[in-house]
Amino acid sequence: MKIPEQRFKIVVIGGSAGSFSVVSRILSQLDPAFPLPVVLCLHRLKHVRSGLVEGLNMKSNIPVVEPYDKDKLKPGVAMLAPSNYHLFVEFDSTISLSTEEVNNHSRPSIDYAFSSAAYSFREKAMGIILTGANKDGAMGIKNIHEKKGYTIVQDPSTCDVDAMPQAALKLFTPDQILKPDDIVKILNGLKA
Amino acid sequence: MTYKEYLQVLKEHSPYDFSEYSDNSIFRRIQKVMRDHKLTLEELGARTQSDKFFVEEVVEAITVNTTELFRDPDMWRYLYEKQLPLYHNNNVINIWHAGCSTGQEVYSLMILLNELGMLDKARVFATDISQKSLDSAKKAIYKHQIDKGCIENFSQVFKNTDGVEKLFSKYFDIDKKTDIISVKPFLKDNIKFVRHNLVENNLPFYNKMDIIFCRNVLIYFNSRLQNRIVQRFFDVMFSHGTLVLGAHEGLSGFFKTKFDRSGPVYKKSNVFHFRY
Repeated sequence: MKIPEQRFKIVVIGGSAGSFSVVSRILSQLDPAFPLPVVLCLHRLKHVRSGLVEGLNMKSNIPVVEPYDKDKLKPGVAMLAPSNYHLFVEFDSTISLSTEEVNNHSRPSIDYAFSSAAYSFREKAMGIILTGANKDGAMGIKNIHEKKGYTIVQDPSTCDVDAMPQAALKLFTPDQILKPDDIVKILNGLKA
Repeated sequence: MTYKEYLQVLKEHSPYDFSEYSDNSIFRRIQKVMRDHKLTLEELGARTQSDKFFVEEVVEAITVNTTELFRDPDMWRYLYEKQLPLYHNNNVINIWHAGCSTGQEVYSLMILLNELGMLDKARVFATDISQKSLDSAKKAIYKHQIDKGCIENFSQVFKNTDGVEKLFSKYFDIDKKTDIISVKPFLKDNIKFVRHNLVENNLPFYNKMDIIFCRNVLIYFNSRLQNRIVQRFFDVMFSHGTLVLGAHEGLSGFFKTKFDRSGPVYKKSNVFHFRY
């Protein structure tokens, strides 16, 4: 496992089935002084729309918030895509939300969030795909890879459901394939 | 050609100005149009300059939006309990749904007003940029709403689980097999559907408004355009008027002082504001 030399401006993390425990584990081991903005795009059950942000905050070393439209990314704050909205990252580091159609049966769509980060931040974006039950996210993290950003896919052997990581690995070869604890080590090695 | 340049072409060759839409979400939608029509950005630009009907198609595609009956039930519950009763003594309640899309929330509000015995006081203007959406809103026949959880929303709003089917069928003709519901005609009586582009400075009516709904519409615009539109809302509202935005939309900058937050909605502030 190698800590990347390049400097980043954003870390986007996506996952669905089983990702809650992985995300909380990552957030609970993160350096409280983590220097970069984080965007979390997690699929949620349609009829369980509340409680996720509270649950993550109980474990997390950095604040987790559900942003309002046009809120600005902040270093050391994790912004969780609100339920039933797509989330886009804009060039000026603000968040835009949208209620257009579901993508891959998902809203928020991980593809949309990741692609917007790729487009806005190019090589300054780091994308991480975690355990998940569908292919949403695979295209998005590939976009980050194409724009020379840094890509990490959770090691499928450590996933509850590996459909999402497998879908990503089918499309391209990420910079690293890691288990959650090593993902944390990479994140804690990043500089502003 | 870049996306920004394409938006410039669209602006010059059509009545539509998308230059102040949120970049990434508009670009993604244009990408989708390119994919669906198998066009490059250059080809899209050329066709936009020469084909008026195609422009309308593009505009429909990039402004299409989803809406649900009683989306965010807690907000509707709040309107039902705390806000709408405030207008009980009005002779008329003027309501503007700015960006009504296919109309589900227009009818959601009519249902609440009817339950409060205030339906015939309502004068409703429902506007949208898309003629197609307005046509659907007028028709008010909706597919797959039950699958999307509208009955659960309904029972959350009315805190009523036993009688909810009966309450629901008071307002809709329901075909459960095909999951198609149609709004009963009496809810439609006091609604005017008018085509209107929020980006433009004109208004389609002369009335002052008691309640303005603009839910999940401003999110497509950049902050500058958002503020311009909120200023227009402010100007066209009675004092103490109610502004209802989407669950994750807020007011920025100096509008924070011109509206007071009341639960999930905003009230036009009555405080005199000095202008420095």
